[in-house]
Amino acid sequence: MVDAARHPNIELLTYTEVKRVEGFIGNFKVLVEEKPRYVLMDRCNGCGACAPVCPIEVPNEFEEGLAPRKAIYIPHSQAVPLRYVIDIDHCIKCYKCVDACGKLDAIDFSQQPKQRWLDVGSIIVATGFDSFDPSELTEYGYGRYDNVITTLELERINNSAGPTAGQIIRPSDKKFPKKVAFIQCVGSRDERFNLYCSGFCCMYTIKNAVQWKLTYPDADITIFYMDIRTPSKGYEEFYRWAREMGIRFIQGRPALITEDPHTGNLFIQAEDVGLGQLIELESELVVLSTAAVPRADTEQMSSILNISRSPGGFFMEYHPKLRPVDSPTDGVFLAGAAQGPKDIPASVAQGSGAAARAARILNAERWEIEPIVAHVWEDRCISAQGKKCGICATKCPYNAIVVEQGKAAEVMPAKCHGCGGCVAECPHNAITQMHFTDAQILAQLHALLAKEPEKKIIAFMCHWCSYGGADNAGTSHFEYPASSRGIRVMCSARQDQDFVYEAFRLGAGMVLVSGCHPQDCHYITGQRVAAERFERLAKRLAEMGISPQRFRVEWISAAEGAKYAQVIREMDEVLRSFDPQALKEENERVRPELERRLRRLTEIPDVAKALEQVYA
Amino acid sequence: MSENGDLRIGVYVCHCGSNIAGVIDPKAVAEYAATLPDVVWATDQLYTCSDPGQRQIQEDIKKYHLNRVVVAACSVRLHEPTFRACVANAGLNPFLFEMANIREQDTWVHSHEPEAALQKAKDIVAAAVAKARFLTPLDMIEVPVTKAAMVIGGGIAGISAALDLADMGIKTYLVEKEPSIGGRMAQLNKTFPTMDCSI
Ligand SMILES: Cc1cc2nc3c(=O)[nH]c(=O)nc-3n(C[C@H](O)[C@H](O)[C@H](O)COP(=O)(O)OP(=O)(O)OC[C@H]3O[C@@H](n4cnc5c(N)ncnc54)[C@H](O)[C@@H]3O)c2cc1C
Ligand code: SF4
Repeated sequence: MVDAARHPNIELLTYTEVKRVEGFIGNFKVLVEEKPRYVLMDRCNGCGACAPVCPIEVPNEFEEGLAPRKAIYIPHSQAVPLRYVIDIDHCIKCYKCVDACGKLDAIDFSQQPKQRWLDVGSIIVATGFDSFDPSELTEYGYGRYDNVITTLELERINNSAGPTAGQIIRPSDKKFPKKVAFIQCVGSRDERFNLYCSGFCCMYTIKNAVQWKLTYPDADITIFYMDIRTPSKGYEEFYRWAREMGIRFIQGRPALITEDPHTGNLFIQAEDVGLGQLIELESELVVLSTAAVPRADTEQMSSILNISRSPGGFFMEYHPKLRPVDSPTDGVFLAGAAQGPKDIPASVAQGSGAAARAARILNAERWEIEPIVAHVWEDRCISAQGKKCGICATKCPYNAIVVEQGKAAEVMPAKCHGCGGCVAECPHNAITQMHFTDAQILAQLHALLAKEPEKKIIAFMCHWCSYGGADNAGTSHFEYPASSRGIRVMCSARQDQDFVYEAFRLGAGMVLVSGCHPQDCHYITGQRVAAERFERLAKRLAEMGISPQRFRVEWISAAEGAKYAQVIREMDEVLRSFDPQALKEENERVRPELERRLRRLTEIPDVAKALEQVYA
Repeated sequence: MSENGDLRIGVYVCHCGSNIAGVIDPKAVAEYAATLPDVVWATDQLYTCSDPGQRQIQEDIKKYHLNRVVVAACSVRLHEPTFRACVANAGLNPFLFEMANIREQDTWVHSHEPEAALQKAKDIVAAAVAKARFLTPLDMIEVPVTKAAMVIGGGIAGISAALDLADMGIKTYLVEKEPSIGGRMAQLNKTFPTMDCSI
């Protein structure tokens, strides 16, 4: 900690929050706001003369509320920087601290929040985790029974610098508890709260139990667990050691805790899986190993930083296997428990990994970005004609498009990630995506449906997920009928409804649009934009008279080869169940309506030419 | 390129040993490809990604003045970077390359229907050629880089990242919303696996 404060290349901005992030890889602008400390950093020397005279006492957050602090305080004795701060919400402005500070004159009640913009080439997000509030689990009585505490509270009680100076005492009568029980997976691996395993709580419980047992060899310690998870180096050995020293491990998740109000002791009811019977255990203290959960402000941070979240709510990495440190936004990296529960060794490793990933960019003079970006045809954009639009900008998950009425929409290539969502959403076909232009995609479609279109399934796929799923079906050799023909785009958001209309106009038997699952989207909200679009489209196609079974939408991950194969199998079966003649007639019936909807398609540059091709 | 009347497309159909050739006849696909518009040269190769395979593409680019290249082989996710680099080395813009996946999405999943698999391979190649006709050369977008970093969060992960960056000579802002850095670790007593004190 002190190393970071002393390093000449590190500027420490404490009591500071990130308010806004603009720009792109290599060129971010970050607005930060320093909250007023009401204590001058350059005058305060941390002497501590002020706190004793302060009449206000409030629970100290650092001590998990187990000890008080004053309204003027340092969070703990090792704080970095060692500077006092005034908690203005509780301060009564008696100014006793000002007198105590005396000649140093370090207290300044006139301070205001200070904002500044900082230019950086890369950002590392290491905002950590919160602990689950176990009062939500009413059966354990946390908050109602004094002697049910969390492991974090125990960490403070069992700490020589903590509120009890390291004396283990229980809250109800300040006596030393001889019988203690730990309960694992509180809020983790529980369908009601969080499905995931928090990873490090098994180890920290064993650690606390071992430490307790080393100090008090007579202590009676029980750990209730679902499974013990100790997969890292040396951890299993540590667990063995705990068992050998006489700590009792019982497999079973307690169902209920009750309290004897006279003694303050607790009765734990659980099923002992090993014995196969219900047991009740009396304990003087119960310690809950609460889940690691995402910070309360994760959602706000994810929108400020434009990065997405995984199903559990933690920040999502670019690729779970191959790019575990990168966020989906280029130039923004993730480190530590912010990305998912992680212990200290793993957090340090990911911190170093993130530094190296960032340095790759920062040590380069210039950075190259793939040019598969959106491009506006200025003469087609109605905003340039003074009309109000701006749909593209609202659909862009990266704020890469600026629309000013009277001017054509402008794409900032360096900010554009090339999902193509705006291209498909523009009602005037005024945007295209380089390397995935309308002409290129329609030319593919045309070629694929040149012969016997009614016997074919056109499958639109996104590069990252459903195309990967189709590849996975291949590497797994999952056979499916050869009637499908794929067209790859980067994101399902690029799959224009006009492509679907055109496929049916050309007589395609079936159309599949596919992409990632919502939480896997490489382009933050691309899948959602597509999902909304295709929900509407499915209704419209049905209204037009296209049999609903002929159009299908599926979200398939790169690991779901079996699903991809199954979807095509099912679609093929449906296709075969149609009478070919009836299918042709249906196509003929809807063709005029499709042609009406597509009449402006050929105005798009190159499209007319792409559709001209005649195949032998 | 639409305005470019002089398209010269080369098509390479890979056997991938028996991975493709065990199900369909790559030669038949190449012969079909040769009939497609603007294709001036089409051939089959045992392993297109091998050195000889790539060398042939590079030689053909010069010999036949190819200005678009289509490789029908495995997945884009596997070898697109390989072939982009290959054509770039022969002086062609890498975005004038197009890949047709006739392995993962054809022969590997339709081995029981070789006839249908062959027809599908032809369609896939026709689609790739159709796209290639509309490819345009693109340049990578170059942006400048500000040599400074921001680390948000001063727990152990953020401190580690900031120290590493700073040691590499990079100016680093370490932003912490609390009055002190340290995060959760500062609250812990002894820590596993070493059982030493945390700070
Ligand atoms: C009871 C308990 C015991 C544990 N014991 C051990 C152990 O013995 N050994 C071990 O290896 N691990 C242990 N762990 C796990 C350990 O705490 C984590 O591995 C570690 O804290 C993760 O570090 P981090 O930097 O990712 O996150 P954190 O420690 O949570 O730090 C994140 C920092 O970011 C700051 N921050 C958050 N949001 C913002 C924002 N928006 N802007 C600016 N700053 C922000 C926070 O204030 C905090 O300082 C234990 C955990 C618990 C709960
Ligand atoms: S680490 Fe252990 S206690 Fe924590 S959630 Fe996983 S299994 Fe449960």
